[in-house]
Amino acid sequence: MVEAQERRHLVLIGNGMAGINTVEQILKLAPGIYRITVFGSEPYPNYNRIQLSYVLEKSKAVEDIILNDRDWYLENGIELYTATTVTHIDTEQKTVKADNGMEVPYDTLIIATGSNPFILPVPGADKEGIVGFRDIADCENMLHAADQYKKAAVIGGGLLGLEAAKGLLKLGMDVTVVHLFEEIMERQLDHTASLMLQAELESQGLKFATGKHTEEFLGDKRVSGIRFSDGTTLDAEFVVMAVGIRPNIALAKESGIAVNKGILVNDYMRTSVPDVYAVGECNEHRGITYGLVAPLFEQGAVLAKHLCGVDTKPYEGSVVSTQLKISGVDVFSAGEFMDAEGLSIVRMHDDWRRIYKKVLLRGGRIVGGVLIGDGKESSRLQQWIRTGTIMTEAIHDAIVGLASVETGNTAAELADEEIVCGCNGVTKKHIMDAINEKGLTTVEEIKVATSASRSCGGCRPVVEQILQYVLGDKYDSAAAKQEAICSCTTLSRDEVVTAIKEKGLITSKEVRYALEWDNPEGCSKCRPALNYYLGMIWPAEHVDEKDSRFVNERMHANIQKDGTFGVVPRMYGGVTTPEDLRLIADIAVKYNVKLVKVTGGQRLDLLGVKKEDLPKIWKDLGMPSGYAYAKALRTVKTCVGSQFCRFGTKDSMGMGIKLEKKFERLDMPAKFKLAVNGCPRNCAESSTKDIGIVGNEGAWEIYVGGNGGIKARLAELLCKVRTDEELLEIVSAFMQYYRETGKYLERTSDWIERMGLESVTEAVVSDLDNRRALAERMEVALAQVKEPWSEILNNSNLRERMFDEISVSTKPN
Amino acid sequence: MEPILNRNEYTYYLVGNVDDFTERLGRVVRLGKEEIAVFKTTDGQIYALENKSPGPRGGTIAEGMISGEVLFDPICDWKISLTDGQVLDPDKGQVRTYPVQVLGNEVRIGLLTNGGGLFHE
Ligand SMILES: Cc1cc2nc3c(=O)[nH]c(=O)nc-3n(C[C@H](O)[C@H](O)[C@H](O)COP(=O)(O)OP(=O)(O)OC[C@H]3O[C@@H](n4cnc5c(N)ncnc54)[C@H](O)[C@@H]3O)c2cc1C
Ligand code: SF4
Repeated sequence: MVEAQERRHLVLIGNGMAGINTVEQILKLAPGIYRITVFGSEPYPNYNRIQLSYVLEKSKAVEDIILNDRDWYLENGIELYTATTVTHIDTEQKTVKADNGMEVPYDTLIIATGSNPFILPVPGADKEGIVGFRDIADCENMLHAADQYKKAAVIGGGLLGLEAAKGLLKLGMDVTVVHLFEEIMERQLDHTASLMLQAELESQGLKFATGKHTEEFLGDKRVSGIRFSDGTTLDAEFVVMAVGIRPNIALAKESGIAVNKGILVNDYMRTSVPDVYAVGECNEHRGITYGLVAPLFEQGAVLAKHLCGVDTKPYEGSVVSTQLKISGVDVFSAGEFMDAEGLSIVRMHDDWRRIYKKVLLRGGRIVGGVLIGDGKESSRLQQWIRTGTIMTEAIHDAIVGLASVETGNTAAELADEEIVCGCNGVTKKHIMDAINEKGLTTVEEIKVATSASRSCGGCRPVVEQILQYVLGDKYDSAAAKQEAICSCTTLSRDEVVTAIKEKGLITSKEVRYALEWDNPEGCSKCRPALNYYLGMIWPAEHVDEKDSRFVNERMHANIQKDGTFGVVPRMYGGVTTPEDLRLIADIAVKYNVKLVKVTGGQRLDLLGVKKEDLPKIWKDLGMPSGYAYAKALRTVKTCVGSQFCRFGTKDSMGMGIKLEKKFERLDMPAKFKLAVNGCPRNCAESSTKDIGIVGNEGAWEIYVGGNGGIKARLAELLCKVRTDEELLEIVSAFMQYYRETGKYLERTSDWIERMGLESVTEAVVSDLDNRRALAERMEVALAQVKEPWSEILNNSNLRERMFDEISVSTKPN
Repeated sequence: MEPILNRNEYTYYLVGNVDDFTERLGRVVRLGKEEIAVFKTTDGQIYALENKSPGPRGGTIAEGMISGEVLFDPICDWKISLTDGQVLDPDKGQVRTYPVQVLGNEVRIGLLTNGGGLFHE
């Protein structure tokens, strides 16, 4: 037994956004595996640093931006030391020392010390009245200054500087933004966007001094102004320094941990020292230090998984985007934003509505964008940039579109050599040729044949337009948009089955990977379906995936609502013997089953069997499973027929038993029922079966597609045959045709309506070659089926893991 | 402020080896009075949840299908997060979870010292 004291000790230095986010994720992944201690220099629990801009402009109070209050630390058993700075890490002894004299040992250490505002190293920078903008204390300082002073200067025309300036302006100060470059936010905006933003902010009351190099701060003890390199000066009683940040590496450096600009980490946030990690703004990953929250969340996710022993992809860096949080000014920028050679640019500039939108394309793919004045599409744009999506009509419309954009088919206008699929370099001509030469009719087929739209899928709408353009009237958009098999994919049953065959995919994992499923392990809808399709297509090669079977098919018994099971032994054709009946009765008594039921399919159901008794019951019975749970042949219901009945013209029992023995256990798209009758009186009810066979004047009539369940449907006559051989071949061909073309869970009643009785008759009756081929493929499939009960009985390991519970006492021993 | 439970007082019990559990197939563990469904994901992570369907029809969950860190309830087909027992959209509900420790090959499940597992809010 492992008591709480023995849990590994995780120490976090830095109670900020990156560190606590990592801890939150650890708690989610593996609650209780670590004992956690947190040190933070600031006297507050973890808060949302981003929203300091709102605190400054007084639209939020400090309490509003707290992310995790002290109760949260308590509830999660985290020891929190606020207003406590860690001063030393002993990486040999594995302890940390804090400024309050504490010394604590760690098993695992996370450094998340964030960064510090960069203070320009110019004369006078240490005067009173000059602050950075990083934490609550800075914010309070600024609020205080606004009460006493009038003239403020903010040095730095980037995101942080502009937000600080706007805050001070709102507090009633006269604010000038000083910027080294001619254009503000030059690292995120192009010339046009920058000027628009500046004009917008000027109209709100901010002043700008751009192209100004600060050389000295003037004043005695307290700052009174700034002198620039061009000799000019600016009066200022209060200065906010927002020229950049420096990763906070002092502690790590003096403790012997490797640093450069930031604390050096690998793709799992590990530093140069064992068991010491660094996350957030304080680290340097592949040469990059970040100053925004998105990367730090991504880093935290990888680190948390790593520390909990959960498999994770390495962190490989982030694409960052910028959004200015100033009310009344929408500013978004991500990826590339400057005009450059090799880029195509979609630009919309509306001076009257003060909107500017720019999307940058390289090789047709979206690699960057800027939005000023209208940021509605910013999150989608961010997504498109991250995935390198191809520009399409629809995307173009969404971003820069005007109300009356022509939405017709523009495929005709594309040049033949135009690359449609940028990911795979497929041209329009390439696609058109494939459609014409191979007679393709769906985007999916085009994808398989040409690779167009195979990777990011962004060009799919264009590919569809080309298809429509080439096929003209023959293009049936309904056919092109078949229903997806589940929400993990957009592909339909036919598209998936075609791809499985063409690409030779054998396992469902391969299918999900090759066909780019959204969910790598699938869902309860596609998993059983894929398992069926794979078994149908590759009868010899496919290994049944038990974990993709519904519980009934896995346990080979029907689960009941109280968690017990119903066991139904085979009783071929509904015919049994006194010995078998006696055996069943004895077993029912021995295992104390709750009820014995005669089923609608002419056999017996033993109800109320405990899971762990299942293998024993099968063993004692020594009869095959009746598959009363399966998407397979259930029963063949028979009438007495010519063996006993006065009216019988055919041996219905004999034929029924023969059919049941031949087709039992074979997987079908859905459950499958048969009936065989000796004469048209139909005592075994053929008209509600998937296949109903009726003896009539020495011949067999075959009815198909009947259903007596939720959606009742009367079976229709497929054909009439003379001999038993013919009957067996047609039944076989019919079942195989249904297996090959049916959707998983689609009963024959729906399948026949979808396919049309005529085409089914053609395939399995009239076209003799096809009929024979189907019957032959059926034999291949039948050769693979195994009796499941004995398979499980003979494998004790499998049996234990599947059926036996584990029982552990909690009493101390 | 709502009363705070001391949520980290767990006692851990050895329930078996990692190999006693099959990937993506649940197994029932009876730990004292608790009936627990234990699942092993493809990643080899082991999770322990109360063996009780959160759906309206009742039943057990050990028989469900596992995809990543999500369990599909065998009775109502709701999606349940293995990590915290939350029922995922569009349904709502909650299954109790128990912390699991894997040390070497040994699997241990934690019970709150005053009994039971816990609900995450
Ligand atoms: C005003 C403002 C606006 C911002 N706006 C945005 C925005 O809109 N979008 C965006 O993505 N990002 C924004 N950011 C940046 C974002 O806040 C940071 O990227 C993020 O907070 C970094 O998280 P961190 O945990 O690495 O560092 P921090 O959140 O700074 O946490 C580090 C913590 O460690 C503490 N610490 C340092 N050394 C020690 C020590 N030796 N012992 C104990 N504790 C220590 C510090 O006091 C601090 O509390 C903004 C930042 C500011 C200041
Ligand atoms: S269907 Fe005909 S042969 Fe069969 S039992 Fe009824 S009457 Fe007799």
